Amino acid sequence: MNPSVLELCRSGIAAARRFGATDAEVYGISADTTTATIEKHDLLMAKTQRETAFGVRALVGNQVGFASTNDVSDLERACREAALLAKASPGDPSNVLPASGPIVPVDGLYDVDAERYTTDRAVREAIGILEIAEAIDRRILIGDGEFSFRRSERAVANTRGVGTDERTSLFLYSVLATAKDGERVSNMDYQFGATRRVDRIDVEPIVRRACRNALDSLGAEPCGASFRGSVLLSPQAVESLLVGLILFQVNARNAVRRQARWADCLGQRVAAPTLTVVDDGRLPGGVAASAFDREGSPHARLTILEEGKLVSLLHNAYSATALGQQNTGHAAGSAQSVPAIGPTNLTILPGSATKDELVSEIRQGLLVTRFSGNVDPVSGDFSGVAKGAQLISNGRLERAVTGTLIAGNVFECLETLSGVSREQETIVNLTLPYVRVERVSVTAGTAC
Amino acid sequence: MLQLLERIAADAADWTELRFQARQTRALTVRNGLLEASTSVLQKGVGVRVLAGGAFGFASTTDLDEKGIRAAVAAARAAARTSAPAKRDRVERLADAAFGRGTFPVDTQDPLRAHSLEEKLSLTLATEARVRAASARIVSASATYEEIEDEKVLVTSDGASAHVFDSKPSFRVLAGARAGQDQSLGYDTVGVTGGWTDLFAARSADELVEAAVRLAIDPLSAPQPEGGTFPVVLDPELVGLLCHEAIGHTVEADIVLGGAVTAGKIGQRVASELVTMCDSGLSPYDPHAVGTLPVDDEGVVAVRTVIIERGILRSYLHNRETAAHYGVPPTGNARAYTYSDNPIIRMRNTYIEPGEAETAALFEGIRQGYYLKGFAMSGQADSNAEFMFGVREARRIVDGNVGALVRGATISGNAFDVLKSVDAVAGDFAWEKGAGACGKGQAAKVDAGGPHIRCRLTIGGRQE
Repeated sequence: MNPSVLELCRSGIAAARRFGATDAEVYGISADTTTATIEKHDLLMAKTQRETAFGVRALVGNQVGFASTNDVSDLERACREAALLAKASPGDPSNVLPASGPIVPVDGLYDVDAERYTTDRAVREAIGILEIAEAIDRRILIGDGEFSFRRSERAVANTRGVGTDERTSLFLYSVLATAKDGERVSNMDYQFGATRRVDRIDVEPIVRRACRNALDSLGAEPCGASFRGSVLLSPQAVESLLVGLILFQVNARNAVRRQARWADCLGQRVAAPTLTVVDDGRLPGGVAASAFDREGSPHARLTILEEGKLVSLLHNAYSATALGQQNTGHAAGSAQSVPAIGPTNLTILPGSATKDELVSEIRQGLLVTRFSGNVDPVSGDFSGVAKGAQLISNGRLERAVTGTLIAGNVFECLETLSGVSREQETIVNLTLPYVRVERVSVTAGTAC
Repeated sequence: MLQLLERIAADAADWTELRFQARQTRALTVRNGLLEASTSVLQKGVGVRVLAGGAFGFASTTDLDEKGIRAAVAAARAAARTSAPAKRDRVERLADAAFGRGTFPVDTQDPLRAHSLEEKLSLTLATEARVRAASARIVSASATYEEIEDEKVLVTSDGASAHVFDSKPSFRVLAGARAGQDQSLGYDTVGVTGGWTDLFAARSADELVEAAVRLAIDPLSAPQPEGGTFPVVLDPELVGLLCHEAIGHTVEADIVLGGAVTAGKIGQRVASELVTMCDSGLSPYDPHAVGTLPVDDEGVVAVRTVIIERGILRSYLHNRETAAHYGVPPTGNARAYTYSDNPIIRMRNTYIEPGEAETAALFEGIRQGYYLKGFAMSGQADSNAEFMFGVREARRIVDGNVGALVRGATISGNAFDVLKSVDAVAGDFAWEKGAGACGKGQAAKVDAGGPHIRCRLTIGGRQE
């Protein structure tokens, strides 16, 4: 019988010690993935992948080295290389491995029905994406898309007592829709969906959303006049405009790096009181839920922003040690990189107004379905194209506009944020509402 | 491995492509005086693609003995057979191709392995320290050295057989500056296909430090630009970005067939007659461009392809499947990033050919406009050629003179409209030679470049 991933991780720790490591951590994953890919509105191919990978962190005192391999028979060499890299590296007192904590399994991570899921069913789901799009409108082209399923076993062990593993199943699906009508080509629209359970697979909502957004942007005209005013961001635009900056600011590694403005703002108001953000690594049904993080620390629910006040940063063992704060169990990353910091299931809690009510209060503004642009997470400055945008006049959606740029500062947007919708959408591991921000510069572009 | 793959390919009942790849990636990151990462990552395996019943199937394995590879062939064949009944547009044939056969070593006199870990670490530590010492306004700094070394064996059942070595080092420098609450980041990167001295032939580590520090500090007191449409001069890096991101993707034949705006426009005018744009596996004008490759991952010789000739659209970028569809030779653009990726159409080195104008002359005659330099690592382009890019350094042009810096500039528009508005192309040329990669479901190391050009486009900015 082949050794389990956890047993291999433990053997790696012993090997690293033999090569001179004073402490060591081995993270391993073994996964089978099958993907049915759509391209050019047709099935492109089915693809299967069997992968195993191990990431070894070796410490010699407070010096650290990292090596990774995807070859089980090469694990001992990787352990030796990690130890050699550690010995050649300058030390850092914050280089520590976490001690073991209580790991409580999370229900629903693994669906045994996934073991009987076949390539043929994945292909049928991919074809289903095309058929749904065609039933909505023949002008739709699904340029890209995929349906994949993955069964994996991951484990982590270290010399401080961590030794844990879990199995997961995951079904992921995506579509990229474009509408074409004669010479007119719409904006592309991407949508994603995911679930851990076979009986929860449902590609239709994401296909409908992508098609609707693509069709809505077909025939859009330039905005006309430039102005400064209200912008209502869709959940997807909230992700690209606001969430990226929030995550940069609450990533404790960026506080250690002295790049985050919020590094010294714990307990202070950094956003409007309507904004509450939580991260829950144990969220029931959450596609990023799991019992432990990349270092083997337990996951838990964490409030990040509460009514606009910064409550906690996201930590792994390194940043928690460096800043003298509590490790929140947000070590993230693959076996092929050193543990970073990242969110699990992130939610912006809903507000009380509906999306339509938020629109009705706007005299002159823009609804932005997707933001394609540049957000500087340090200065907060942003500028980019409002995709799938609709002009709002006197409380009503007036018409689709194209080539329109929006610019401003995300820190200012968070402070002057004037509304959070009751409706939310889940984008893989993010659950987000519509958010209205103020005093955004809207620049009319040329026709596209 | 070559003999093993050839033997397995010879036994294949259907068209079969086998690709062994061993990739060793090493990276060193120093940040704020501390070594943040010293890593070594090995990824090796075999990717197998089979064409059966008019559909492709793909499988990858890390089990590298004959039994394991034959099992992957069987899995790929089964995936193809499963897909075939559902596929609407069957792949009837693959285009004949000029295969690159034999061994293709790295083109360098100074291989990375001739330089020790200690030497690379010492340079990375010293470079990061120089950033921190450059100014009291610098509050954070980092330097990263990364090297990717590949060995590939490419075999197909219809005759490709190549043993390819590749080496792509890169170096990045980042500086964070602060003045009160005002913070900004500056960075510069260099990356090549080649060895150690090739890497720093383009820009030395000291030059990277100087640029990163300047780009961090200068914007601190700078205003944002006024939004609007202006005459602009684009530097070679932005010209390359426009070529690659906004035009290049729309001429990848798989994107064309997916409904890109270029569909059916071969032979039509799509740009100013001053514009000739190419994509090449070679590195013309200046060696060691990042996207240089002798053969693609279908084993096809990676030739120079003229995409736009004097403003007329002449060619798409092809793999063997799309070349057969269009009845043209493949252009050597099929690339896979790792052994577990199937080859897809990717660019290599994409550029506009130099023109005849003096660079300084491009600025003359601009009463009010912008000189735009470099890519701010954010942006996107659609298949309708609509694009938005962040600009790393934007300066106002007033009455022909380059002046004050503005911060946070973005440019947008339709790339073909921009190319039609080109009214001057300089005689200079540079590759970006950066550290980044292109993403299209999988990464690819690419390069892009060109001369300075003058055109019109829309700049996003503040409205008062």
